[in-house]
Amino acid sequence: MEGREQKRHEQKRHQQKHSGPKAEKKKKRKQREQDAEQEQDERKRNPRAFAVRSAVRMARNFHRTQDLKTKKHHIPLVDRTPLEPPPIVVVVMGPPKVGKSTLIRCLIKNYTRQKLADICGPVTIVSGKKRRLTFIECNNDINTMIDLAKVADLVLMLIDASFGFEMETFEFLNICQVHGFPRVMGVLTHLDSFKNNKTLNKTKKRLKHRFWTEVYQGAKLFYLSGMVYGEYQTREVKNLGRFISVMKFRPLVWQTSHPYVVADRMEDLTDPEAIRLNPKCDRTVSLYGYLRGTFLKNKCQIHIPGVGDFSVADASFLPDPCPLPEMLKKRALNERERLLYAPMAGVGGLVYDKDAVYIDMPGSHVSHQQEEVRPTTELVQSLMGTHTTLDAKMAASKVSLFTGTAALTPEEVSGKQGPVESRVWDAETQRERRKAIFAEEDDEGSDEEDSEEEDNEELESEEEETEEEAEQEKKEVREERKAMKEDAPPIKRQKLEERAQVSGAVVEMPVFADSEDELEKSEGEEETEEEESDEDDEDEKEVEEEEMEEEEKKKKDRKGTAPPDSGHCSEEDTDSDDEVEDDDSEAEVDEEEEEDEDSSEVEEQENVKAPGKEAAQSKMLPADEEVKTDVEEKTEPGLETAGALRWKEDLAQKATEAYLRQQRAAPNVRKLVYGAVVEEENTDNEEEELGGLFRVSRPEKSKKIRADAVDCSRFQPDAGHDWDQEEMLASIRDCFVTGKWEGDKDASTLLKEDDELYGDFEDLETGEVHKGENHDDDEENEEEEAPLVKVDDDEAQKNKRLEKKKRLKERFNAEYDDGDATYFDDLKEEMQKQAELNRAEFEDMDDETRVQYEGFRPGMYVRLEIPALPCEFVTNFDPHYPIILGGLGASEGNIGYLQMRLKKHRWYNRILKTRDPLILSLGWRRFQTMPLYHIEDHNGRHRLLKYTPEHMHCGASIWGPITPQGTGFLAVQSVAGTQANFRIAATGVVLDLDKSVTIVKKLKLTGYPYKIFKNTCFIQGMFNTVLEVAKFEGASIRTVSGLKGQIKKALRTPPGAFRATFEDRALMSDIVFLRSWYPVSVPQLYNPVTSLLMPVGQKDAWTGMRTVGQLKHDLGIKNKPNKDSLYKPVVRQKRHFNPLHIPKTLQKALPFKSKPKNQEAKGKTPLDLRRPAVIREPHERKVAALLTALGTVYNHKNKKAQAEQHMKHKDFLKQKEKEEVVKQKRLKEERKKIYRAMGQKEKKKSLKG
Amino acid sequence: IAAKGGMAALTYEGCNFLRQRLVLSTLSGKRVKIRNIRSRDDEPGLRDFEASFIRLLDKVTNGSRIEINQTGTALFYQPGLLCGGSVEHECNVQRSIGYYLEALIMLAPFMKNPLKAILKGVTNDPIDPSVDLLKATAVPLMKMFGINGEGLEIKVVKRGIAPRGGGEVHFSCPVCRALKPVLLTDPGKIKRIRGTAYSVRVSPQMANRIVDSARSILNKFIPDIYIYTDHMKGASSGKSPGFGLTLVAETVNGTLLSAELASTPQGQGDPVLPEELGKNCAKLLLEEIYRGGCVDSNNQSLALLYMTLDQQDVSKTLLGPLSPYTIEFLRHIRDFFQIMFKIETQKADEDEQKGGDKVLMTCVGVGYSNISKSHK
Repeated sequence: MEGREQKRHEQKRHQQKHSGPKAEKKKKRKQREQDAEQEQDERKRNPRAFAVRSAVRMARNFHRTQDLKTKKHHIPLVDRTPLEPPPIVVVVMGPPKVGKSTLIRCLIKNYTRQKLADICGPVTIVSGKKRRLTFIECNNDINTMIDLAKVADLVLMLIDASFGFEMETFEFLNICQVHGFPRVMGVLTHLDSFKNNKTLNKTKKRLKHRFWTEVYQGAKLFYLSGMVYGEYQTREVKNLGRFISVMKFRPLVWQTSHPYVVADRMEDLTDPEAIRLNPKCDRTVSLYGYLRGTFLKNKCQIHIPGVGDFSVADASFLPDPCPLPEMLKKRALNERERLLYAPMAGVGGLVYDKDAVYIDMPGSHVSHQQEEVRPTTELVQSLMGTHTTLDAKMAASKVSLFTGTAALTPEEVSGKQGPVESRVWDAETQRERRKAIFAEEDDEGSDEEDSEEEDNEELESEEEETEEEAEQEKKEVREERKAMKEDAPPIKRQKLEERAQVSGAVVEMPVFADSEDELEKSEGEEETEEEESDEDDEDEKEVEEEEMEEEEKKKKDRKGTAPPDSGHCSEEDTDSDDEVEDDDSEAEVDEEEEEDEDSSEVEEQENVKAPGKEAAQSKMLPADEEVKTDVEEKTEPGLETAGALRWKEDLAQKATEAYLRQQRAAPNVRKLVYGAVVEEENTDNEEEELGGLFRVSRPEKSKKIRADAVDCSRFQPDAGHDWDQEEMLASIRDCFVTGKWEGDKDASTLLKEDDELYGDFEDLETGEVHKGENHDDDEENEEEEAPLVKVDDDEAQKNKRLEKKKRLKERFNAEYDDGDATYFDDLKEEMQKQAELNRAEFEDMDDETRVQYEGFRPGMYVRLEIPALPCEFVTNFDPHYPIILGGLGASEGNIGYLQMRLKKHRWYNRILKTRDPLILSLGWRRFQTMPLYHIEDHNGRHRLLKYTPEHMHCGASIWGPITPQGTGFLAVQSVAGTQANFRIAATGVVLDLDKSVTIVKKLKLTGYPYKIFKNTCFIQGMFNTVLEVAKFEGASIRTVSGLKGQIKKALRTPPGAFRATFEDRALMSDIVFLRSWYPVSVPQLYNPVTSLLMPVGQKDAWTGMRTVGQLKHDLGIKNKPNKDSLYKPVVRQKRHFNPLHIPKTLQKALPFKSKPKNQEAKGKTPLDLRRPAVIREPHERKVAALLTALGTVYNHKNKKAQAEQHMKHKDFLKQKEKEEVVKQKRLKEERKKIYRAMGQKEKKKSLKG
Repeated sequence: IAAKGGMAALTYEGCNFLRQRLVLSTLSGKRVKIRNIRSRDDEPGLRDFEASFIRLLDKVTNGSRIEINQTGTALFYQPGLLCGGSVEHECNVQRSIGYYLEALIMLAPFMKNPLKAILKGVTNDPIDPSVDLLKATAVPLMKMFGINGEGLEIKVVKRGIAPRGGGEVHFSCPVCRALKPVLLTDPGKIKRIRGTAYSVRVSPQMANRIVDSARSILNKFIPDIYIYTDHMKGASSGKSPGFGLTLVAETVNGTLLSAELASTPQGQGDPVLPEELGKNCAKLLLEEIYRGGCVDSNNQSLALLYMTLDQQDVSKTLLGPLSPYTIEFLRHIRDFFQIMFKIETQKADEDEQKGGDKVLMTCVGVGYSNISKSHK
């Protein structure tokens, strides 16, 4: 009790009310809360809020939601993104001195932990497990900006926050907008220059919002707050890097429909001899880079912006220089996988070519004079460095890979001082790679072994397929490997003719590769055995030569003993053999040659065997005589060597080897249709070819017959088929629904399955009981499938069950999804299926074959050889300017008229004039052209405009490259230098392509009537001949006064005059005019901007055709204006107003004040008051004349005197004034004196006082 | 061939495959030069029908340049843009309208304006696929590639038999922006056979005789056969007498196989009996069925062309053995579009009796889009 009391004293305790209104309230509230918990659904809790008030509104709401839903749909497209995408192109753009290079450097450092001093050309890095990036710095030349905007996936737009936006930024954004908007991310730099935090924040906000209006609301803007030791803060760069790594990109129409390569490496392949003879000769250049966009076809046409249109002479893919990590298990990349590839910046010491590996060894051995000439073309350098004759060069080509070093002998190379080439068989790419190995690298060697093991495995697997083939192949591979274990250099020492021979021979081989011929195989084995024995004592050349002779003999023998049908072999074939022999006897032969020889022999053997197998082939394809001969033609080896690029000979061999492998597997039909592909290249210059595919070995006549045969698509029936015979009829029995069906579609089996599914049932109506016929069925089955069951009983059963399950599932799905499957879903599914098919179709092929069917896939690292490039491209090469190879679609290389919709850019401060040259960026190209502006009238007429409208779209017609409709373009007036104002003059879109234009301008023909009858009028001066009039008969004419009329008929004289009728009588003073429309032709100017060919440092100074205005300005020419347009002083005649006349009636009505007063009625003075006219007598007249003369004299005298007086008075006044001045002066002096005196007095007084 | 760069013209020799070359040139925009056209012949140079074809090509294109040398043995063709619209052409009677129509069908979907062509001349002759055949097979094939819509049809208004012709055919085709890829790998089984037996300026009984004889052979396989008899009279019967039969077999999957035979033109060789013709035609159809595939042998090149011009997707078509014409066409496609087909032979199954070996053609389209069509 005490304690309680104490507590009560301290503080009154809260007492919960258990009754009364408060407790009730609380209870209620609690209850409500509980209820709410129970029914979370608001609809239930507050049903009135969700009640249907108005059916109309409900419907509207429904519509709206549906609209919003469907708005989100995009047209589904087939997903064509490659499995291994090319590196993402990140263009770093911004005004000068904003920190572009620094940012790239920081990002590279962030990703790869490497420092790059000079950002020169594209830099490719591996940024993550699935992503690679290519950084390109964009300078402020508008050419570069335009080119890079077309290839960019992501644009990092650097903005100097301390300065604000600059024109370049907006220009670049506009360029992007026109050419499909790539992702744009803003990066604010120079934020450390703000001292005040508030202004910083304000500036950030201001810039952000401006950026948003340009890009889109909510576009990412990144802030780089400051520099630490000349670099951005690591944390911020890391964040930026992460943003880039996870960014998603939108597919841009132009990019996804055209293949393109951003070249990151350039090599000049021109024959140095040709350059020596003519330094300005056209160059052959190979360009390297990742292929992006879509599939690139070999020999396609490309456009290099800034250079022009070219066709690719040869395209090939190379091993990825910057591959993604192969293992994807780890969480992050390890140090080795963080690769950096920037050949133009001199990074990536190893450079792979189609056939060789270049190793960049800075400083030590490259002679400096040459570096000045051409720093990037090691290959050419190495050739130039030898300073020897061609033959000697060729002989020494194996050793002159690096200039300056003493000629490497094989022994030296084996001493492993420098990098050694080693050939590695790459199982994945199915090709041999040449690896550079340094002496220190031991682990590499182990790798090699591994790969060899893999090879072996693979070979084994092949063995399973066709043992004989595989064995042969294996042996070949072994031989190759043996060769590899020998030193690499001798490989290159070869006689060219033989090489070509070999390549030709290799090509033909695959035609018969898949035939199973015993003889062939045994021969092949013989060969290999011989070879092996050869290799044992290969060091001694004499022995070799002996053996060579032996082999030649053998060859000859073989020829002699060739099967009888060797007659099919062409003469050329034997010729070529002879050549080989000749060469052999002359040449210094090494073992490599022998090897090749051998293989060629193998093929020759096969060649001889060829005709025997044709029958088998022809079964598959029409047994047409022509087709057969095709096969023969194709089997011949290419005779000619490819060209003058002798040191490249190795390439051909590589290629042929590749083909050999790949064609071995391909069926013969392919060869029948396409022939051997490599051969085509060799036969370019031959006259004796047919359809470009095959050389003709038959007499002239047969060829002619084929070339000039009847052009008919009918397929003549096979004579072998006799459709009267029962067997033939039976052979197509199953093609009809009445025939036997496949197991899974056969009606009876399906029925059976249904029975199995549903088992027995009872027909209630009839009372019939259907039993699941398990036992009967089984018996039947057993009877039927007895042999099958024995083979694999369980397997078959299992498969059957699985299949049935699958079918059931499909049926269920079909029924289940049927309800809410929309058109959109169907379409999406269809696209999905197509995408899967696209992926799967060529998946299991090796790349070389695949490339032939698909073209080069995006993501591949390709090498494009381009001949006939202007020499300035090489001599004025500047890696800071991007080289883009844009593929052109069908007929995009042609030129025609383009009709476009154009609008002057609202920020451009002038309007554009028709026929003024304008530089357009359209598709891949930049070119100068002369557009005609026009507008469409209501009747579809295209009326010429002299100038573009100020704020309106108008049409523009140009003569330019054919580009698909819907492609955007932009126009600038000049690309030279930097201007103060916004440079983009206009933007627009291509509407229509045509080979003719229909633009008209108004033409008024005027004439004058020379004879007028009532409504008829003869008019002249409008036309010059009767013929002209005849053309316009019936045309409507008009007079200036507005009379309408019609031309009726020409008059004989004067020529060009005609009769016309009007709706009323015309006047002689009328001018008659005829309104007509005159077609205007578009000037055919298409002048590609060749800015890349300009000398280094002047690449932004390209000027094309000047406008008339510029020309006049530059040359100081002034127009002589029309006299009528000049301003003259305006002389106005004095106007004379008639006196006001007020009618009498009105006068009467007027008040007195307004009544005219003192105005006598004019006119009629009465006769009596009128003074008579005075007619003077001659005498009087004389007197009067004298008087007037006297008066005149008097007046004159008076006037004179007055003037004199006036003058005198003037003089007097002057005099007086002078005196006055003097007087005033004197007075002033006096006054001064007085005042001075007074002042002194005053002074004295004050002093005294 | 010597495809020396894209700029240089492709060079060919001889007059054979002239249509292919010119059509592909028009579609790809590549110039083509053909030399030695019948240079060793007694009558060198282009024939009238070829000249007529070139004239037709000139009518449907705008801005194409054709240069033929004095003797007509060399031809240079610089393609313009396909403009289409209403075209009326008097086809030379040396070849039937099918000769011209085949090429026109290849070009028609890629015109600026929907093509409405009126072709006059020989509708049926023994050399070329007749208009009836193209109507029955090529038009459904076009529909498979997504060329449909208003007015895709071939209408035989007047029938004109070789040698003097006098027929008239209306061909209209809508334009399309891009073709859609096809997957014709399973031809399915033949469910019915349809046909047209026509007779012109002969007894109407001829057609019935043809029908009877053809049925006698085909009835062994399938009961669902219906052969229409088409006897044209008066103004719509042309200038020469003749008769013939066109047979089309339709499968459950909607693919078509066809055969046809026409009587020998008046005054050229021995006349044939209608019974004989009917039987032979039926046998030709059986031959065609033996070859099989999803596209009949006459339209192989058309199907392959459309596959080539597809979007950049994989298309597959199962064909019978490739005809020499098709083989050459494939080579030309490679020259003009750098497209190679993956050609796989499907060996005939021993158990099933479904005719000879088939060829599965696979390719990735070039992503061709109609550049003539106006974008307004």
